[in-house]
Amino acid sequence: MNKQPNAVVNRLLSLQRIRLALIVATSLPLAISTAPARAQNVAPQSADQSTTAAPADREDWQQAAMIQLPPLARTAVARVQPTLVTIESFGGSTTRQGEIGGIRKQGEGNTTGIIISPDGLILTSRFNFTDQPRIISVVTSAGEHYTAKLQSEDVTRNLCLLKIQEDVQLPLPTWIPQDEIQVGQYAISTGVGYGDRQPAISLGIISAKNRIFGRAIQTDANISPANYGGPLIDLEGRVFGICVPLSPAGTSATAGTEWYDSGIGFVIPLGGDPDWLADLKARKSTYPGSLGVTIVPNPAGGGLKIEKVVPKFPAAVAGLEVGDVLWQANGRSMESQTDLIQLIRRLSAEQSIKLIYSKADQPDKKQEIEIQLARHPDSLPKQLIPGLPPLEQLQ
Amino acid sequence: MIRNSQYLLLLMVLFLSQTSRVAGQENLFQQAIEQTQQRMVKVIGAGAGNVEGYATGMLISDDGLILSTQGVFLDGPQVQIILPDGSLHTASVLRRNRQLQLSLLKIEAPTPDHFTLGSEDFGQQGDWVAAVSNAYKIADKEEHLSVMMGVISLRTTIDAKLNQRDTAYSGPLVLVDAITSNPGAAGGAIIDRQGNLVGLIGKIIDSSETNTRLNYAVPRSLLDRFAKGELSTEPLAQSQVPRKRLDLGLKIFQLSGRNAPPYIDKVVAGGLAAQAGLKSDDMVVSINGNKVKTVRDYQQQTSELYDDQQLVIVAARKSKLVRAVVWEPNPVSPKSTTVPGGQGNE
Repeated sequence: MNKQPNAVVNRLLSLQRIRLALIVATSLPLAISTAPARAQNVAPQSADQSTTAAPADREDWQQAAMIQLPPLARTAVARVQPTLVTIESFGGSTTRQGEIGGIRKQGEGNTTGIIISPDGLILTSRFNFTDQPRIISVVTSAGEHYTAKLQSEDVTRNLCLLKIQEDVQLPLPTWIPQDEIQVGQYAISTGVGYGDRQPAISLGIISAKNRIFGRAIQTDANISPANYGGPLIDLEGRVFGICVPLSPAGTSATAGTEWYDSGIGFVIPLGGDPDWLADLKARKSTYPGSLGVTIVPNPAGGGLKIEKVVPKFPAAVAGLEVGDVLWQANGRSMESQTDLIQLIRRLSAEQSIKLIYSKADQPDKKQEIEIQLARHPDSLPKQLIPGLPPLEQLQ
Repeated sequence: MIRNSQYLLLLMVLFLSQTSRVAGQENLFQQAIEQTQQRMVKVIGAGAGNVEGYATGMLISDDGLILSTQGVFLDGPQVQIILPDGSLHTASVLRRNRQLQLSLLKIEAPTPDHFTLGSEDFGQQGDWVAAVSNAYKIADKEEHLSVMMGVISLRTTIDAKLNQRDTAYSGPLVLVDAITSNPGAAGGAIIDRQGNLVGLIGKIIDSSETNTRLNYAVPRSLLDRFAKGELSTEPLAQSQVPRKRLDLGLKIFQLSGRNAPPYIDKVVAGGLAAQAGLKSDDMVVSINGNKVKTVRDYQQQTSELYDDQQLVIVAARKSKLVRAVVWEPNPVSPKSTTVPGGQGNE
């Protein structure tokens, strides 16, 4: 066995990176291009022409990958395992060592959680907690049962924070600083959602960064209900982030589950103690933001014309009216609906957006206004929002 | 699963170009896959509706014994086997096992290239594996089967009783992260990089509730026992030991109707529930991992409880959850299967 795993890892990383760049350059659709790169793990022929790796060198690399990866992966999983818990949502499946029950219905199956403070804060995916269970049972990898309560949630990242009610002293994982994460790097998704306390693993790479409005990284390791809430780790057992179902198109707790095991999976990176995590710890939940206007490209040219304002939502409260034209938002000029939608999806409720606009009757007089976004109606209890139009029209 | 077939095609193309390369790389899969291809067969039988009439199989003796999966393709007038050389043979079905979803077939032809079964299991978590199968019937006649790569996700056991709605397989299994759960792939081989047989790709477990599938293999040691005839061909007849219904010794409060939450009204002193620590006013929230929300759920979940199975009741008591092991079956229960210990092979 090689005594210097890091040297091998680094070598693998650099080759992976070159390969990824090449594959992306061929402009194959992402879903197809990353999957063979990972599953093959034998350098594709296309790499030969333009990289400096000589054939003999590449054979060395192939052998290194084959021989070195499995024991590295096992060590990595063993390192992170004590920091994982199985969450048996309210009355859901019970865990057993050495046995699984398959993947259960949403809200009934097990979910993986990861310990983020020694006194029992557990971060996990919202996937199995949409019906707000009153009591949650948490089982550590050592088999100890605890009771936990749902403390706060971040709907934009599909995460929630649980707190163990008993006095505990729990081990913490090591987080990878976000600026160290590199596309092409090996990644292992792990989780105990199948039911066995021993986590199941899937090997892949980091496919992309800055996904889902800057909130997620993407991997081609399998991500499914079996590991939502579980960590994506590197070959040293350090944690990139938490596996969650996410979709650019929706904000529900299950949006993105249709991509399970597809080679497109999302992970919320956690390195560097980000602000949103501090909010969750301070019991503050985060929701998608909404301005409360419907917009169309301005027929008079340039800008976005307001077609509808939702009563009591921030735009209406700030005095924006049908016919007003938005010229800029946070310093960017607005040409199409997606310009504004993209910008708002990157923000969350209670964050502010700076608009430059003109009233319908004074098209040349541009005014500036700062508006704080409200909680998006999709994340409000339904009975509070009778007759509101769906998400797409509300931006 | 369009992605999977595209993925597969790409892999095939890549592998075809790889096989022309110089040999002597015994740590890679080329040799192992070449060898495995000669040990695999295509199985063609009857289809029914949208259920595929084809599968994959593996040769396990030099006189034409073939291991494959269960399925409707076995129920037609004849089952046909295509050997790696493209020759067509009619097979007879020797044995089937519902619990493991396995079948043993036989053709009258010499088959010098074959896997050798045995009690040893190969491959542990994280090891590279290749899956060789005729998923989607892409290969025809003498064409090679499709190959996918992945790693072993977990060695574990699945209990069909925990998963009543999707009972397709019950027993030890090897989960893999290659997407093997596709039509026609069952009966294919999962091999390690030395060409050792890790297991046989299991029949699709398609969860109707979650719309998800498990990618798994039946471990080699179990295949060996099945092929030797050591496992009952009718697993339900396996529990010949008389079993008794469990008397939990508890009464649920029913006066609020069947849609009310299931609160325990009374526990019989000295009964199973009392011994396990359940008390009156506890609210039952799950039975053996199945969620219980109402009196109706409770009645359904407790209608078929026998002493050959563990019974765990989780109940809410104020703001705590109480986990009560109400019944632990006799440890020498005939059902008990041992999880094969992973054998390292690096």
